[in-house]
Amino acid sequence: MARTKGYPEALEKKLADTRLYEDERHPEFTRTVEKISMSIPHMCYQCGTCTASCPSAPRSSYRIRKFMRRALLGLEEEALTDPDLWLCTTCYSCTDRCPRDIAPTDVIMAMRNLAAQRDIVPVNFLKTVQAIYSTGHGVPNNDVNRAARKKLGLPADPPTTHGFPKYVKGIQSIIDHFGLKARADRIVKEREG
Amino acid sequence: MAEKKTKKESAAKKEPKKAAAKAAAPAPAAAPKVTPGKTTAKEARIGVYICHCGTNIAGSIDIPAVQEYAKTLKNVAHVDNYQYMCSTPGQKKIENDIKEHKLTGIVVAACSPRLHEPTFRTATKTGGLNPFRFEMANIREQGSWVHMHDREGGTAKAKDAIRIAVAKASLLEDLIPKAVPVEKAAMVVGAGIAGMQAALDLANAGIKTYLIEKNPTIGGRMSQLDKTFPTLDCSQCILTPKMVDVGRAPNIELMTYAEVEAVEGYIGNFDVTIRKKARGVLTPAEAEAKGIVGGGCNGCGDCDVVCPVIKPNPFEMGMKPRKAIYIYHPQVVPLIYTVDFDSCVKCGLCVDACGDKKAIDLEMKDELIKVKVGTAVIATGYDIFPIEKKDEWGYNKYENVVTSLEFERLICASGPTGGHLVRPSDGKTPMKVAFLLCAGSRDNTGVGKPYCSRFCCMYSLKHAHQIIEKIPGCQPYIFYMDIRSFGKMYEEFYYRIQDEGAKFMRGRVANVLEDPNTKNLLINAEDTLLNRPINLEVDMVVLAAAVEPCESTEKTRKLFGVSKSMDGWLLEAHPKLNPCGTTTAGVFLAGVCQGPKDIPDTVASAEGAASAASIPIHMGEVELEPYFAQCIEEKCAGCGMCVNLCPYSALSLVEKDGRKVMQVTEAKCKGCGTCGGFCPGGAIWMQHFATPQVVAQIDAFLLGGEQ
Repeated sequence: MARTKGYPEALEKKLADTRLYEDERHPEFTRTVEKISMSIPHMCYQCGTCTASCPSAPRSSYRIRKFMRRALLGLEEEALTDPDLWLCTTCYSCTDRCPRDIAPTDVIMAMRNLAAQRDIVPVNFLKTVQAIYSTGHGVPNNDVNRAARKKLGLPADPPTTHGFPKYVKGIQSIIDHFGLKARADRIVKEREG
Repeated sequence: MAEKKTKKESAAKKEPKKAAAKAAAPAPAAAPKVTPGKTTAKEARIGVYICHCGTNIAGSIDIPAVQEYAKTLKNVAHVDNYQYMCSTPGQKKIENDIKEHKLTGIVVAACSPRLHEPTFRTATKTGGLNPFRFEMANIREQGSWVHMHDREGGTAKAKDAIRIAVAKASLLEDLIPKAVPVEKAAMVVGAGIAGMQAALDLANAGIKTYLIEKNPTIGGRMSQLDKTFPTLDCSQCILTPKMVDVGRAPNIELMTYAEVEAVEGYIGNFDVTIRKKARGVLTPAEAEAKGIVGGGCNGCGDCDVVCPVIKPNPFEMGMKPRKAIYIYHPQVVPLIYTVDFDSCVKCGLCVDACGDKKAIDLEMKDELIKVKVGTAVIATGYDIFPIEKKDEWGYNKYENVVTSLEFERLICASGPTGGHLVRPSDGKTPMKVAFLLCAGSRDNTGVGKPYCSRFCCMYSLKHAHQIIEKIPGCQPYIFYMDIRSFGKMYEEFYYRIQDEGAKFMRGRVANVLEDPNTKNLLINAEDTLLNRPINLEVDMVVLAAAVEPCESTEKTRKLFGVSKSMDGWLLEAHPKLNPCGTTTAGVFLAGVCQGPKDIPDTVASAEGAASAASIPIHMGEVELEPYFAQCIEEKCAGCGMCVNLCPYSALSLVEKDGRKVMQVTEAKCKGCGTCGGFCPGGAIWMQHFATPQVVAQIDAFLLGGEQ
């Protein structure tokens, strides 16, 4: 955690103490992440193959190598509160190429799980939950798509829960089993009022 | 049923004991003749010594409890313990107690026999007992170390180990090691820089040395290199004098284009069969032997000119043509052409061109030659890992991605381009070259190699220097994870190359893409120090590919009975204290076949192997551990089943007193026990692992001392 000295905000940020303190490290965080991800981020040697393989990195501040380092050192706060955690597209290119045979994608997913447990989830992810709950689709059909489908000679709605809305109930009961919808509703309400 | 068998064998155990009592051996030091089937003559009096090994053993085993327990064991006459039994005072205890307590056997409970059995055998001998009256109980590697957190269990296991050792020690007999003469000749397999150096050292020490090389010339990988780091001497310039020395040394019998076909025997007496592959060309000596005066190949190359068949030259990594009759390069040793019978069309043009020299024989066949040597050095070297398996870097897919060995030939003045570095796609001079380090090394995916190939960092620095020097304005980029510049003057070389302008990018390359129009290459990596992805377009990519043991290593190693480690490299006897030796006596390792090494380390290793291989030869004879099988002739029915079972061909049937009995060639017997375990009549006595001794150990374990 950066320690502050009482300057104006911009200067405060520049002059903050950025040293790594031992009390930021939580070895149990490393163990938990490894258990959930079933991978070995503590073996990372920081070669950067993951970041260089990442389609997100050249367009964003997401650096998967940094998250591997945080997993290795047990920097729980830094890892879980960094909004970059949610920029992974889960394409698995890093997992394909990692020379240490780590599955960085799965490590990211584990961290997202842990962050979600602490209600640290971007609202758009929660809205996706709501969309799946009500339609069975993360990206529901819309008028533009319906028109395009008709033009191609397809039925306006695909043969999914859109075509068979009675099955949405089944999806809802799965989501309810984990209390995901209620949780999403609560957090969205807290953030957006 | 198992119980029944044990009882039966226990009964058998007592029988030879009684018989032995009649032929009592008086003074133990006088080395009585061993009679198979007869165990110790005297009442056993065993001395037990428990080692603390500092806290290695004492830290997790209750020494006083073990000592008190040992005192209660049958035949134990004296028990003691000491901080370090292997120290001089520890050994003195054994030596003095043998006399003072009239001991007949010694048990030391300490580390593994592999570590200190020789030490305590010497102490036993100094004390006046036969050294084979010593037995070790391993309570460290198999005791305290594995039961570090279970003091009670570890202590109980130590008691078991000592009880078992005492049971065996009570029945141990005097054994006399057998000395066998050592053939005053050595063999070196592989004539790269390691094999050449080892052969030269052995030859200079006055030992006849057979140097076997599978290729038509000696020189190996080093002869393919252009410059050598960090001094930048020309590789050929420093290598060719050695090649010439090897060719001329009177004590070296050089066999190129030859492979080891079979190995029989043991240290001091290896019978090696060598396949001299059909070369199709006679040396002057061979020609003279055939009565062709002044004939044989003189390397003139007239045949090369007329040969119509064109093939890629493997010495130039296939980047230069050769004919079906060829030499690798102008400096080959020996300067004798070779016919590639796989591609020769036998048109006979070369035979005509050769004329009166009559050097070419297109009907030549492989020849098998047998030689006898005392020791052997394996120096089979390395190959480049097939880097196309890591397909993200595009080797074999994109023309301008080359390996480091191909780069060596492209930058070498005697190479296919006369030393002008060009892009394979269009022959243009590259102005931006990326070097990819750890290409296939330090890779735990199962595709590449988990180890560090150890010399790639340094040769890539050298490559960067060479292009800066040869091509003004050419920019080298070195993509690295760590620069390992560990040798003498290596770090200084790193400093120099950075000063010369090479750009070091700390990041492993994720993938390489090709622009299909320009054939330029696009590199994706992360500058991990800036924390930013890099997108770099270069003209050429050089992969510092991992190395692996060359293909023929596997065959050679099996012939000589040498193991390999998990990574595929040949296994040394001890990684630190015996890096040149192997677990097969008389066989030694030199150079990269044992693990990646640069040239200085390879030469040092070769000199070490040569020195080690010369010792038994200079000693003149070697002692073999006397764990031979012995035939108890009165029990032997002469069925001969053991003869077929023996994996070392050490047994034979002989006529004795009008009947057939088995006979052991002791020098060939390795004491594996295959015959002894099988013999239906119980007529085979495995010295030091005799049935009564082993049964006593089993009884001691199963019955907990209540025998």
